[in-house]
Amino acid sequence: MNQTILEAENLCKFWGGLKALNELNIQFKDKQLHSIVGPNGAGKSTLLNTLCGAYPATSGVILYHGKPITHLKGYEFCREGIGRSFQKTNIFHNATCLENCCIAAQQRIGGSFNLFRKRSKNRQITEIARKALQQVGLTARADTRATEVSYGEQRQLEIAMVLATSPKVLLLDEPMAGMGHEESQTIISLLKELKQQYCIVLVEHDMDAVFELSDLMTVMVDGQHLITDTVDNIRNNPLVQDAYLGNDDEVF
Amino acid sequence: MSIFSSKSEKIFIYLFFAIGLFIPLFLEGNTFYINKFSTIIILSIFVMSLDYLVGRTGLITLGHAMFYGLGGYIFTILAPEYEAVNFWVYTFYVMLISGFIALIVGLIVLRTSGIYMIMITLALAQMTFYFFADSVEYGGLDGLFVYIKPETSIFGLSFLDLDNETHFYYLCLLSLFNCFVFFKVIMNSSFGRVIDALKENPDRAIALGYNIFHFRLIAYVLSSSLAAYAGYLFALQFGFVNPSMMSWDISATALVMALLGGLGSVFGAIIGSFMYEGLHYYIEHLTEYWMFFMGVLIIALVLTLKHGIAGFLNALGGKRS
Repeated sequence: MNQTILEAENLCKFWGGLKALNELNIQFKDKQLHSIVGPNGAGKSTLLNTLCGAYPATSGVILYHGKPITHLKGYEFCREGIGRSFQKTNIFHNATCLENCCIAAQQRIGGSFNLFRKRSKNRQITEIARKALQQVGLTARADTRATEVSYGEQRQLEIAMVLATSPKVLLLDEPMAGMGHEESQTIISLLKELKQQYCIVLVEHDMDAVFELSDLMTVMVDGQHLITDTVDNIRNNPLVQDAYLGNDDEVF
Repeated sequence: MSIFSSKSEKIFIYLFFAIGLFIPLFLEGNTFYINKFSTIIILSIFVMSLDYLVGRTGLITLGHAMFYGLGGYIFTILAPEYEAVNFWVYTFYVMLISGFIALIVGLIVLRTSGIYMIMITLALAQMTFYFFADSVEYGGLDGLFVYIKPETSIFGLSFLDLDNETHFYYLCLLSLFNCFVFFKVIMNSSFGRVIDALKENPDRAIALGYNIFHFRLIAYVLSSSLAAYAGYLFALQFGFVNPSMMSWDISATALVMALLGGLGSVFGAIIGSFMYEGLHYYIEHLTEYWMFFMGVLIIALVLTLKHGIAGFLNALGGKRS
Protein backbone atom coordinates (compact mmCIF):
# COMPACT_ATOMS: atom_id res chain seq x y z
CA MET A 1 0.00 0.00 0.00
CA ASN A 2 1.19 3.51 -0.70
CA GLN A 3 2.38 5.66 2.11
CA THR A 4 0.12 8.31 3.57
CA ILE A 5 1.54 11.76 2.90
CA LEU A 6 -1.12 14.24 3.86
CA GLU A 7 -3.68 13.72 6.53
CA ALA A 8 -6.41 15.72 8.22
CA GLU A 9 -7.61 14.86 11.68
CA ASN A 10 -10.85 16.30 13.00
CA LEU A 11 -10.31 19.28 10.74
CA CYS A 12 -12.82 22.08 11.27
CA LYS A 13 -13.25 25.38 9.47
CA PHE A 14 -16.08 27.59 10.65
CA TRP A 15 -17.14 30.83 9.05
CA GLY A 16 -19.00 32.33 11.95
CA GLY A 17 -21.88 29.93 12.46
CA LEU A 18 -21.35 28.16 9.16
CA LYS A 19 -19.52 24.89 9.49
CA ALA A 20 -17.73 24.67 6.17
CA LEU A 21 -15.63 21.78 7.40
CA ASN A 22 -16.91 19.76 10.30
CA GLU A 23 -14.71 17.20 12.02
CA LEU A 24 -13.21 15.98 8.82
CA ASN A 25 -10.87 12.99 8.80
CA ILE A 26 -9.19 12.17 5.55
CA GLN A 27 -5.94 10.67 4.32
CA PHE A 28 -4.11 11.14 1.05
CA LYS A 29 -1.62 8.60 -0.16
CA ASP A 30 1.43 8.94 -2.35
CA LYS A 31 1.12 8.30 -6.09
CA GLN A 32 -2.63 8.23 -5.96
CA LEU A 33 -5.23 10.51 -7.35
CA HIS A 34 -7.80 11.13 -4.71
CA SER A 35 -10.80 13.14 -5.81
CA ILE A 36 -13.21 14.96 -3.65
CA VAL A 37 -16.72 15.36 -4.91
CA GLY A 38 -19.92 16.62 -3.46
CA PRO A 39 -22.72 19.02 -4.19
CA ASN A 40 -22.09 22.77 -4.31
CA GLY A 41 -21.32 24.16 -0.89
CA ALA A 42 -20.13 20.83 0.43
CA GLY A 43 -16.85 22.40 1.49
CA LYS A 44 -14.55 20.97 -1.17
CA SER A 45 -12.79 24.20 -1.99
CA THR A 46 -12.63 25.11 1.70
CA LEU A 47 -10.92 21.80 2.32
CA LEU A 48 -8.30 22.51 -0.35
CA ASN A 49 -7.78 26.03 0.92
CA THR A 50 -7.32 24.76 4.45
CA LEU A 51 -4.98 21.98 3.38
CA CYS A 52 -2.72 24.42 1.55
CA GLY A 53 -2.69 26.90 4.39
CA ALA A 54 -4.64 29.67 2.69
CA TYR A 55 -7.32 29.46 5.40
CA PRO A 56 -6.18 28.75 8.93
CA ALA A 57 -8.08 25.80 10.40
CA THR A 58 -10.51 26.53 13.21
CA SER A 59 -9.50 23.34 14.95
CA GLY A 60 -8.04 19.97 14.14
CA VAL A 61 -4.67 18.94 12.80
CA ILE A 62 -3.12 18.65 9.37
CA LEU A 63 -0.34 16.08 9.26
CA TYR A 64 2.27 16.05 6.51
CA HIS A 65 4.49 12.98 6.53
CA GLY A 66 3.13 12.39 10.02
CA LYS A 67 4.27 15.81 11.24
CA PRO A 68 1.70 18.43 12.25
CA ILE A 69 1.87 21.51 10.01
CA THR A 70 -1.34 23.22 11.05
CA HIS A 71 0.52 26.06 12.77
CA LEU A 72 2.56 26.99 9.70
CA LYS A 73 1.94 30.25 7.87
CA GLY A 74 0.22 30.22 4.49
CA TYR A 75 3.38 30.68 2.46
CA GLU A 76 5.22 27.94 4.34
CA PHE A 77 2.92 25.17 3.14
CA CYS A 78 4.23 25.55 -0.38
CA ARG A 79 7.79 25.33 0.86
CA GLU A 80 6.97 22.04 2.54
CA GLY A 81 5.88 20.67 -0.80
CA ILE A 82 2.15 21.25 -0.89
CA GLY A 83 1.36 22.95 -4.15
CA ARG A 84 -2.04 24.07 -5.23
CA SER A 85 -3.80 25.31 -8.31
CA PHE A 86 -6.76 27.61 -8.27
CA GLN A 87 -10.34 27.30 -9.38
CA LYS A 88 -10.24 30.73 -10.96
CA THR A 89 -7.19 31.10 -13.17
CA ASN A 90 -4.59 32.70 -10.97
CA ILE A 91 -1.49 33.43 -12.99
CA PHE A 92 0.74 36.41 -13.63
CA HIS A 93 -0.92 37.72 -16.76
CA ASN A 94 1.72 40.25 -17.76
CA ALA A 95 4.59 37.78 -17.65
CA THR A 96 5.43 35.14 -20.24
CA CYS A 97 4.48 31.52 -19.57
CA LEU A 98 8.10 30.69 -18.90
CA GLU A 99 8.47 33.61 -16.50
CA ASN A 100 5.36 32.45 -14.65
CA CYS A 101 7.02 29.11 -14.03
CA CYS A 102 10.32 30.79 -13.18
CA ILE A 103 8.62 32.73 -10.40
CA ALA A 104 7.34 29.43 -9.06
CA ALA A 105 10.68 27.65 -9.40
CA GLN A 106 12.73 30.45 -7.90
CA GLN A 107 11.06 29.98 -4.54
CA ARG A 108 12.50 26.47 -4.39
CA ILE A 109 15.93 27.27 -5.72
CA GLY A 110 16.43 30.44 -3.73
CA GLY A 111 18.32 33.62 -4.46
CA SER A 112 15.16 35.66 -4.23
CA PHE A 113 16.88 38.19 -2.03
CA ASN A 114 19.67 38.71 -4.52
CA LEU A 115 19.28 42.29 -5.64
CA PHE A 116 22.00 42.36 -8.23
CA ARG A 117 22.14 39.06 -10.03
CA LYS A 118 20.26 39.19 -13.28
CA ARG A 119 17.26 36.91 -13.06
CA SER A 120 17.89 35.28 -16.41
CA LYS A 121 21.40 34.27 -15.30
CA ASN A 122 20.04 31.54 -13.05
CA ARG A 123 20.00 28.59 -15.45
CA GLN A 124 18.78 26.14 -12.86
CA ILE A 125 15.52 28.04 -12.43
CA THR A 126 14.94 28.38 -16.14
CA GLU A 127 15.56 24.67 -16.59
CA ILE A 128 13.02 23.67 -13.95
CA ALA A 129 10.52 26.10 -15.44
CA ARG A 130 11.05 24.71 -18.94
CA LYS A 131 10.64 21.20 -17.66
CA ALA A 132 7.36 22.11 -15.98
CA LEU A 133 6.09 23.68 -19.20
CA GLN A 134 7.15 20.60 -21.10
CA GLN A 135 5.29 18.34 -18.67
CA VAL A 136 2.02 20.11 -19.37
CA GLY A 137 2.78 20.49 -23.08
CA LEU A 138 3.22 24.23 -23.22
CA THR A 139 6.80 24.38 -24.51
CA ALA A 140 5.67 26.16 -27.67
CA ARG A 141 4.12 28.90 -25.58
CA ALA A 142 7.15 29.58 -23.38
CA ASP A 143 7.74 33.09 -24.65
CA THR A 144 4.13 34.11 -25.11
CA ARG A 145 2.59 36.40 -22.55
CA ALA A 146 0.21 34.52 -20.29
CA THR A 147 -2.66 36.81 -21.10
CA GLU A 148 -2.34 36.01 -24.80
CA VAL A 149 -2.68 32.22 -24.61
CA SER A 150 -6.04 30.45 -24.73
CA TYR A 151 -8.09 29.77 -21.65
CA GLY A 152 -7.31 26.06 -21.77
CA GLU A 153 -3.60 26.83 -21.98
CA GLN A 154 -3.87 29.15 -19.01
CA ARG A 155 -5.32 26.26 -17.03
CA GLN A 156 -2.37 24.13 -18.13
CA LEU A 157 -0.01 26.89 -17.13
CA GLU A 158 -1.67 26.99 -13.75
CA ILE A 159 -0.67 23.33 -13.27
CA ALA A 160 2.81 23.93 -14.68
CA MET A 161 3.37 26.61 -12.07
CA VAL A 162 2.46 24.19 -9.31
CA LEU A 163 4.83 21.61 -10.78
CA ALA A 164 7.64 24.15 -10.93
CA THR A 165 7.50 24.52 -7.14
CA SER A 166 8.72 20.89 -6.96
CA PRO A 167 5.81 19.72 -4.83
CA LYS A 168 5.06 16.32 -3.29
CA VAL A 169 1.34 16.93 -3.08
CA LEU A 170 -0.77 18.60 -5.75
CA LEU A 171 -4.02 20.16 -4.64
CA LEU A 172 -5.95 20.84 -7.82
CA ASP A 173 -9.10 22.92 -7.60
CA GLU A 174 -11.25 22.24 -10.65
CA PRO A 175 -8.48 22.17 -13.23
CA MET A 176 -11.03 21.46 -15.93
CA ALA A 177 -13.48 24.19 -15.05
CA GLY A 178 -14.87 25.93 -18.11
CA MET A 179 -12.96 23.74 -20.57
CA GLY A 180 -14.16 22.20 -23.77
CA HIS A 181 -14.11 18.46 -24.31
CA GLU A 182 -10.79 18.34 -26.14
CA GLU A 183 -9.05 20.57 -23.66
CA SER A 184 -10.35 18.41 -20.83
CA GLN A 185 -8.87 15.37 -22.53
CA THR A 186 -5.46 17.05 -22.52
CA ILE A 187 -5.72 17.64 -18.79
CA ILE A 188 -6.99 14.10 -18.15
CA SER A 189 -4.05 12.50 -19.90
CA LEU A 190 -1.73 14.92 -18.11
CA LEU A 191 -3.15 13.99 -14.72
CA LYS A 192 -2.85 10.32 -15.55
CA GLU A 193 0.86 10.83 -16.00
CA LEU A 194 1.24 13.03 -12.98
CA LYS A 195 -0.45 10.68 -10.58
CA GLN A 196 2.36 8.21 -11.06
CA GLN A 197 4.74 10.69 -9.44
CA TYR A 198 2.69 12.79 -7.08
CA CYS A 199 -0.03 12.58 -4.51
CA ILE A 200 -2.89 14.42 -6.17
CA VAL A 201 -5.99 15.76 -4.51
CA LEU A 202 -8.54 16.68 -7.13
CA VAL A 203 -11.69 18.69 -6.73
CA GLU A 204 -13.65 18.51 -9.95
CA HIS A 205 -17.20 18.75 -11.19
CA ASP A 206 -16.63 16.87 -14.42
CA MET A 207 -17.79 13.45 -13.24
CA ASP A 208 -16.60 11.55 -16.30
CA ALA A 209 -13.11 12.82 -15.65
CA VAL A 210 -13.33 12.04 -11.96
CA PHE A 211 -14.47 8.47 -12.57
CA GLU A 212 -11.80 7.97 -15.17
CA LEU A 213 -8.93 9.29 -13.11
CA SER A 214 -9.55 8.55 -9.48
CA ASP A 215 -7.95 5.84 -7.44
CA LEU A 216 -9.98 6.86 -4.46
CA MET A 217 -12.97 9.11 -4.12
CA THR A 218 -14.33 10.98 -1.16
CA VAL A 219 -17.83 12.30 -1.09
CA MET A 220 -18.49 15.33 1.06
CA VAL A 221 -21.83 16.74 2.09
CA ASP A 222 -22.36 19.85 4.20
CA GLY A 223 -18.77 20.02 5.33
CA GLN A 224 -18.78 16.45 6.47
CA HIS A 225 -17.09 13.39 5.21
CA LEU A 226 -19.67 11.01 3.82
CA ILE A 227 -17.65 8.19 2.38
CA THR A 228 -14.26 7.34 0.94
CA ASP A 229 -14.02 4.42 -1.40
CA THR A 230 -12.95 3.24 -4.82
CA VAL A 231 -14.70 4.54 -7.89
CA ASP A 232 -16.84 1.46 -8.50
CA ASN A 233 -18.08 1.23 -4.96
CA ILE A 234 -18.95 4.92 -4.90
CA ARG A 235 -20.89 4.67 -8.12
CA ASN A 236 -23.20 2.07 -6.65
CA ASN A 237 -23.50 3.52 -3.20
CA PRO A 238 -27.08 4.48 -2.33
CA LEU A 239 -25.90 7.13 0.14
CA VAL A 240 -24.01 8.92 -2.60
CA GLN A 241 -26.88 8.73 -5.01
CA ASP A 242 -28.99 10.23 -2.31
CA ALA A 243 -26.61 13.10 -1.67
CA TYR A 244 -26.19 13.90 -5.32
CA LEU A 245 -29.56 13.21 -6.78
CA GLY A 246 -31.61 14.06 -3.74
CA ASN A 247 -34.57 12.23 -2.29
CA ASP A 248 -37.58 11.63 -4.43
CA ASP A 249 -39.58 14.24 -2.62
CA GLU A 250 -37.16 17.05 -3.53
CA VAL A 251 -38.20 19.08 -6.53
CA PHE A 252 -35.64 20.13 -9.12
CA MET B 1 22.23 42.19 -22.30
CA SER B 2 21.15 45.69 -21.72
CA ILE B 3 19.32 46.98 -18.72
CA PHE B 4 16.72 48.77 -20.80
CA SER B 5 13.24 47.40 -21.12
CA SER B 6 12.36 49.31 -24.28
CA LYS B 7 13.95 51.07 -27.19
CA SER B 8 12.36 54.36 -26.20
CA GLU B 9 13.81 54.11 -22.74
CA LYS B 10 17.27 53.50 -24.14
CA ILE B 11 17.06 56.44 -26.52
CA PHE B 12 15.66 58.71 -23.85
CA ILE B 13 18.31 57.82 -21.29
CA TYR B 14 21.19 58.25 -23.77
CA LEU B 15 19.81 61.56 -24.97
CA PHE B 16 19.05 62.83 -21.51
CA PHE B 17 22.47 62.13 -20.08
CA ALA B 18 24.27 63.29 -23.21
CA ILE B 19 22.44 66.61 -23.08
CA GLY B 20 22.79 66.66 -19.31
CA LEU B 21 26.56 66.34 -19.57
CA PHE B 22 27.00 69.22 -21.98
CA ILE B 23 24.32 71.63 -20.91
CA PRO B 24 26.47 73.55 -18.41
CA LEU B 25 28.83 74.41 -21.28
CA PHE B 26 26.02 76.16 -23.12
CA LEU B 27 24.68 77.91 -20.06
CA GLU B 28 28.11 79.51 -19.62
CA GLY B 29 27.88 79.87 -15.92
CA ASN B 30 24.30 81.07 -15.83
CA THR B 31 23.94 79.87 -12.27
CA PHE B 32 20.19 80.40 -12.12
CA TYR B 33 19.53 77.75 -14.75
CA ILE B 34 22.24 75.42 -13.52
CA ASN B 35 20.73 75.55 -10.06
CA LYS B 36 17.28 75.05 -11.50
CA PHE B 37 18.43 71.91 -13.30
CA SER B 38 20.16 70.61 -10.18
CA THR B 39 16.94 71.06 -8.22
CA ILE B 40 14.89 69.19 -10.79
CA ILE B 41 17.45 66.39 -10.97
CA ILE B 42 17.32 66.03 -7.18
CA LEU B 43 13.56 65.96 -7.44
CA SER B 44 13.85 63.28 -10.13
CA ILE B 45 15.77 61.05 -7.72
CA PHE B 46 13.05 61.51 -5.15
CA VAL B 47 10.27 60.87 -7.68
CA MET B 48 12.14 57.84 -9.02
CA SER B 49 12.31 56.29 -5.58
CA LEU B 50 8.60 56.90 -5.14
CA ASP B 51 7.88 55.59 -8.62
CA TYR B 52 9.64 52.34 -7.80
CA LEU B 53 7.64 51.92 -4.62
CA VAL B 54 4.26 52.80 -6.09
CA GLY B 55 4.65 51.65 -9.65
CA ARG B 56 6.83 48.57 -9.28
CA THR B 57 6.06 47.30 -5.81
CA GLY B 58 2.45 48.40 -5.72
CA LEU B 59 2.74 50.11 -2.34
CA ILE B 60 0.96 53.44 -2.44
CA THR B 61 2.29 55.93 0.06
CA LEU B 62 1.47 59.54 0.79
CA GLY B 63 4.28 59.89 3.27
CA HIS B 64 7.34 59.54 1.14
CA ALA B 65 8.37 63.16 1.69
CA MET B 66 8.98 62.21 5.30
CA PHE B 67 12.16 60.46 4.19
CA TYR B 68 13.03 63.31 1.84
CA GLY B 69 12.92 65.66 4.80
CA LEU B 70 14.60 63.23 7.14
CA GLY B 71 17.52 62.90 4.74
CA GLY B 72 18.16 66.61 5.04
CA TYR B 73 17.62 66.69 8.79
CA ILE B 74 19.81 63.66 9.48
CA PHE B 75 22.74 65.34 7.76
CA THR B 76 22.19 68.74 9.34
CA ILE B 77 21.78 67.31 12.82
CA LEU B 78 24.71 64.90 12.56
CA ALA B 79 27.29 67.12 10.92
CA PRO B 80 29.28 69.49 13.12
CA GLU B 81 28.19 73.06 12.52
CA TYR B 82 31.46 74.73 11.56
CA GLU B 83 33.51 71.97 10.08
CA ALA B 84 33.52 70.53 6.56
CA VAL B 85 32.69 66.85 6.71
CA ASN B 86 33.25 64.26 4.03
CA PHE B 87 30.39 64.05 1.59
CA TRP B 88 30.71 60.32 0.87
CA VAL B 89 30.94 59.35 4.53
CA TYR B 90 27.81 61.33 5.28
CA THR B 91 26.03 59.89 2.28
CA PHE B 92 26.61 56.55 3.90
CA TYR B 93 25.39 57.77 7.30
CA VAL B 94 22.30 59.44 5.90
CA MET B 95 21.28 56.40 3.90
CA LEU B 96 22.04 53.97 6.71
CA ILE B 97 20.10 55.89 9.34
CA SER B 98 17.16 56.66 7.08
CA GLY B 99 17.18 53.02 5.99
CA PHE B 100 16.97 51.99 9.62
CA ILE B 101 14.09 54.40 10.24
CA ALA B 102 12.38 53.05 7.10
CA LEU B 103 12.78 49.55 8.48
CA ILE B 104 10.95 50.46 11.69
CA VAL B 105 8.30 52.46 9.83
CA GLY B 106 7.96 49.69 7.25
CA LEU B 107 7.34 47.10 9.96
CA ILE B 108 4.32 49.14 10.95
CA VAL B 109 2.89 50.49 7.70
CA LEU B 110 3.41 47.37 5.59
CA ARG B 111 0.97 45.47 7.77
CA THR B 112 -1.67 47.41 5.92
CA SER B 113 -2.27 47.93 2.23
CA GLY B 114 -4.26 50.04 -0.20
CA ILE B 115 -6.17 52.94 1.26
CA TYR B 116 -5.13 52.07 4.82
CA MET B 117 -1.50 52.24 3.89
CA ILE B 118 -2.06 55.65 2.28
CA MET B 119 -3.65 56.87 5.49
CA ILE B 120 -1.08 55.48 7.88
CA THR B 121 1.89 56.74 5.86
CA LEU B 122 0.24 60.14 5.67
CA ALA B 123 -0.38 60.12 9.41
CA LEU B 124 3.21 59.18 10.21
CA ALA B 125 4.58 61.80 7.84
CA GLN B 126 2.42 64.49 9.40
CA MET B 127 3.52 63.41 12.86
CA THR B 128 7.13 63.76 11.82
CA PHE B 129 6.33 67.10 10.21
CA TYR B 130 4.85 68.47 13.44
CA PHE B 131 7.62 66.97 15.51
CA PHE B 132 10.16 69.08 13.62
CA ALA B 133 7.83 72.06 13.27
CA ASP B 134 7.33 72.24 17.03
CA SER B 135 10.83 71.36 18.14
CA VAL B 136 12.87 74.22 19.50
CA GLU B 137 16.09 72.29 19.23
CA TYR B 138 15.70 71.65 15.50
CA GLY B 139 14.67 75.16 14.62
CA GLY B 140 10.90 74.76 14.45
CA LEU B 141 9.30 75.95 11.23
CA ASP B 142 12.47 77.82 10.23
CA GLY B 143 14.46 74.62 10.27
CA LEU B 144 18.23 74.38 10.39
CA PHE B 145 21.02 75.84 8.33
CA VAL B 146 23.92 74.15 6.67
CA TYR B 147 26.76 76.61 7.25
CA ILE B 148 29.59 74.70 5.68
CA LYS B 149 29.22 72.37 2.76
CA PRO B 150 30.97 69.01 2.87
CA GLU B 151 34.17 68.35 0.97
CA THR B 152 34.18 65.47 -1.46
CA SER B 153 37.64 63.98 -1.31
CA ILE B 154 38.24 60.29 -1.80
CA PHE B 155 41.63 59.18 -0.40
CA GLY B 156 42.73 62.78 -0.36
CA LEU B 157 41.75 63.47 -3.96
CA SER B 158 39.01 65.99 -4.46
CA PHE B 159 37.25 66.47 -7.79
CA LEU B 160 34.17 68.35 -6.80
CA ASP B 161 33.68 71.61 -5.01
CA LEU B 162 30.11 71.67 -3.75
CA ASP B 163 30.08 75.45 -3.50
CA ASN B 164 30.54 75.57 -7.25
CA GLU B 165 27.11 75.32 -8.93
CA THR B 166 28.40 73.47 -11.95
CA HIS B 167 30.25 70.93 -9.83
CA PHE B 168 27.18 70.41 -7.73
CA TYR B 169 25.12 69.98 -10.88
CA TYR B 170 27.42 67.18 -12.05
CA LEU B 171 27.19 65.50 -8.69
CA CYS B 172 23.38 65.52 -8.98
CA LEU B 173 23.54 64.18 -12.52
CA LEU B 174 25.87 61.40 -11.44
CA SER B 175 23.57 60.58 -8.54
CA LEU B 176 20.56 60.38 -10.81
CA PHE B 177 22.46 58.12 -13.17
CA ASN B 178 23.51 55.80 -10.36
CA CYS B 179 20.02 55.80 -9.01
CA PHE B 180 18.57 54.88 -12.40
CA VAL B 181 21.09 52.09 -12.93
CA PHE B 182 20.50 50.81 -9.41
CA PHE B 183 16.75 50.59 -9.89
CA LYS B 184 17.10 48.97 -13.30
CA VAL B 185 19.49 46.38 -11.91
CA ILE B 186 17.26 45.43 -9.01
CA MET B 187 14.27 45.34 -11.33
CA ASN B 188 16.01 42.82 -13.56
CA SER B 189 17.31 40.74 -10.66
CA SER B 190 15.89 37.66 -9.01
CA PHE B 191 14.56 39.98 -6.32
CA GLY B 192 12.84 42.03 -9.02
CA ARG B 193 11.15 38.91 -10.30
CA VAL B 194 9.44 38.42 -6.95
CA ILE B 195 8.57 42.12 -6.74
CA ASP B 196 6.92 41.94 -10.17
CA ALA B 197 5.00 38.88 -9.10
CA LEU B 198 3.75 40.25 -5.81
CA LYS B 199 2.70 43.49 -7.39
CA GLU B 200 0.58 41.76 -10.00
CA ASN B 201 -0.87 39.01 -7.86
CA PRO B 202 0.13 38.97 -4.20
CA ASP B 203 -2.12 36.03 -3.31
CA ARG B 204 -0.52 33.86 -5.92
CA ALA B 205 2.94 34.89 -4.76
CA ILE B 206 2.01 33.73 -1.26
CA ALA B 207 0.63 30.47 -2.63
CA LEU B 208 3.98 29.94 -4.35
CA GLY B 209 5.70 30.14 -0.99
CA TYR B 210 6.93 33.72 -0.84
CA ASN B 211 6.76 35.70 2.33
CA ILE B 212 5.76 38.88 0.55
CA PHE B 213 6.15 41.01 3.67
CA HIS B 214 9.94 40.59 3.58
CA PHE B 215 10.15 41.61 -0.06
CA ARG B 216 7.94 44.63 0.44
CA LEU B 217 10.00 45.66 3.44
CA ILE B 218 13.25 45.52 1.49
CA ALA B 219 11.75 47.52 -1.37
CA TYR B 220 10.42 50.04 1.12
CA VAL B 221 13.78 50.45 2.84
CA LEU B 222 15.68 50.84 -0.45
CA SER B 223 13.23 53.34 -1.84
CA SER B 224 13.08 55.34 1.38
CA SER B 225 16.81 55.64 1.79
CA LEU B 226 17.15 56.90 -1.78
CA ALA B 227 14.44 59.44 -1.05
CA ALA B 228 16.51 60.47 1.96
CA TYR B 229 19.57 60.78 -0.26
CA ALA B 230 17.62 63.17 -2.49
CA GLY B 231 16.67 65.18 0.60
CA TYR B 232 20.31 65.28 1.63
CA LEU B 233 21.26 66.73 -1.76
CA PHE B 234 18.44 69.26 -1.43
CA ALA B 235 19.78 70.37 1.94
CA LEU B 236 23.24 70.78 0.44
CA GLN B 237 21.99 72.79 -2.50
CA PHE B 238 19.87 75.26 -0.57
CA GLY B 239 21.88 75.26 2.61
CA PHE B 240 18.92 74.70 4.89
CA VAL B 241 16.29 72.20 5.88
CA ASN B 242 12.84 72.93 7.21
CA PRO B 243 9.71 70.92 7.93
CA SER B 244 7.98 71.97 4.71
CA MET B 245 10.26 69.48 2.94
CA MET B 246 8.24 66.69 4.48
CA SER B 247 4.81 68.18 4.24
CA TRP B 248 2.25 65.99 2.58
CA ASP B 249 1.90 68.11 -0.55
CA ILE B 250 5.49 67.29 -1.47
CA SER B 251 4.53 63.60 -1.39
CA ALA B 252 1.42 64.32 -3.43
CA THR B 253 3.25 66.44 -5.99
CA ALA B 254 5.88 63.73 -6.39
CA LEU B 255 3.09 61.22 -6.94
CA VAL B 256 1.64 63.46 -9.66
CA MET B 257 5.06 63.67 -11.31
CA ALA B 258 5.45 59.90 -11.20
CA LEU B 259 1.98 59.49 -12.65
CA LEU B 260 2.64 62.04 -15.35
CA GLY B 261 5.88 60.32 -16.33
CA GLY B 262 4.33 56.86 -16.29
CA LEU B 263 4.05 54.85 -13.10
CA GLY B 264 6.53 52.04 -12.72
CA SER B 265 8.67 52.98 -15.70
CA VAL B 266 11.49 54.53 -13.58
CA PHE B 267 12.79 56.62 -16.50
CA GLY B 268 9.32 58.17 -16.52
CA ALA B 269 10.16 59.70 -13.17
CA ILE B 270 12.78 61.86 -14.87
CA ILE B 271 10.33 62.88 -17.59
CA GLY B 272 7.59 63.54 -15.05
CA SER B 273 9.76 65.76 -12.87
CA PHE B 274 11.13 67.80 -15.76
CA MET B 275 7.72 68.08 -17.38
CA TYR B 276 6.01 69.19 -14.18
CA GLU B 277 8.68 71.63 -13.16
CA GLY B 278 9.05 72.90 -16.72
CA LEU B 279 5.32 73.54 -17.04
CA HIS B 280 5.27 75.09 -13.61
CA TYR B 281 8.09 77.45 -14.50
CA TYR B 282 6.61 78.33 -17.87
CA ILE B 283 3.00 78.86 -16.81
CA GLU B 284 4.02 80.71 -13.67
CA HIS B 285 5.56 83.37 -15.87
CA LEU B 286 2.44 83.68 -18.00
CA THR B 287 -0.20 84.07 -15.36
CA GLU B 288 -0.56 84.25 -11.64
CA TYR B 289 -3.33 81.65 -11.83
CA TRP B 290 -0.76 79.06 -12.84
CA MET B 291 -2.17 76.43 -10.49
CA PHE B 292 -5.47 76.44 -12.34
CA PHE B 293 -3.95 75.97 -15.78
CA MET B 294 -1.43 73.49 -14.49
CA GLY B 295 -4.24 71.47 -12.92
CA VAL B 296 -6.28 71.39 -16.09
CA LEU B 297 -3.24 70.44 -18.12
CA ILE B 298 -2.26 67.60 -15.81
CA ILE B 299 -5.78 66.22 -15.70
CA ALA B 300 -5.87 66.29 -19.50
CA LEU B 301 -2.48 64.57 -19.78
CA VAL B 302 -3.30 61.88 -17.25
CA LEU B 303 -6.64 61.20 -18.93
CA THR B 304 -5.23 60.96 -22.44
CA LEU B 305 -2.04 59.10 -21.61
CA LYS B 306 -2.99 56.07 -19.61
CA HIS B 307 0.56 54.96 -18.93
CA GLY B 308 2.03 58.41 -18.72
CA ILE B 309 4.52 59.95 -21.08
CA ALA B 310 6.84 56.96 -20.74
CA GLY B 311 4.01 54.69 -21.84
CA PHE B 312 3.38 56.98 -24.80
CA LEU B 313 7.06 56.87 -25.79
CA ASN B 314 7.11 53.09 -25.44
CA ALA B 315 4.09 52.81 -27.70
CA LEU B 316 5.80 55.08 -30.24
CA GLY B 317 9.03 53.14 -30.28
CA GLY B 318 7.71 49.60 -30.07
CA LYS B 319 7.70 47.77 -26.78
CA ARG B 320 10.84 45.61 -26.70
CA SER B 321 14.35 46.51 -27.64
